[in-house]
Amino acid sequence: MYLARIGGTVVAATKHPTLSGCRFLLAERLEADGSAGLEPVVVVDWLGAASGETVLVSTDGDIARAKLGNTTPARMVVVGIVDSAAATKPRSGGNA
Amino acid sequence: MRLGIVRGHVTLNQAVAAFRGKTLVVLEPVTMENLRAGKGLGGGKSLVAVDALGAAEGQMVAFTEGREASNPFWPDAVPVDAYCSLIVDTIDIHP
Repeated sequence: MYLARIGGTVVAATKHPTLSGCRFLLAERLEADGSAGLEPVVVVDWLGAASGETVLVSTDGDIARAKLGNTTPARMVVVGIVDSAAATKPRSGGNA
Repeated sequence: MRLGIVRGHVTLNQAVAAFRGKTLVVLEPVTMENLRAGKGLGGGKSLVAVDALGAAEGQMVAFTEGREASNPFWPDAVPVDAYCSLIVDTIDIHP
């Protein structure tokens, strides 16, 4: 699981049939210092996350399979909307 | 799912039986910088994915990686680790 910031919404008419009706959001993975990862990801959201919010993303497809069936390719799912997250600064000489 | 732009198709001469009849596309993953620029550039390290949606060259798709990529072929066990799940129509990026 990792933290990500919701950066927008994704509209797709053509998709795997198990994904019809799903809400797709664009998310940027967050590093401990708050910077974003290089490539964005598309996540499935059932919680109603809004743009700009920080969410917890699980890369395990079990929730998606339970909701959408065994044949769904959905994997990354918003499993929580973050209230607050704190990370301490890495010490110099730590596991960089 | 990551985002990727279809750059081409792959045809196999010989293949394991599970790949018979499957369409393979070459994808170039899209970085956030290139997505914001909106010029159709990708920027990531390319990979091959199974496509059952009929994505054309230049179109952007979202692709699933890992074990879940073979879920659409359940209960068959297929050695697929990337699968085009949707063809992107529009992405609204909120600043």
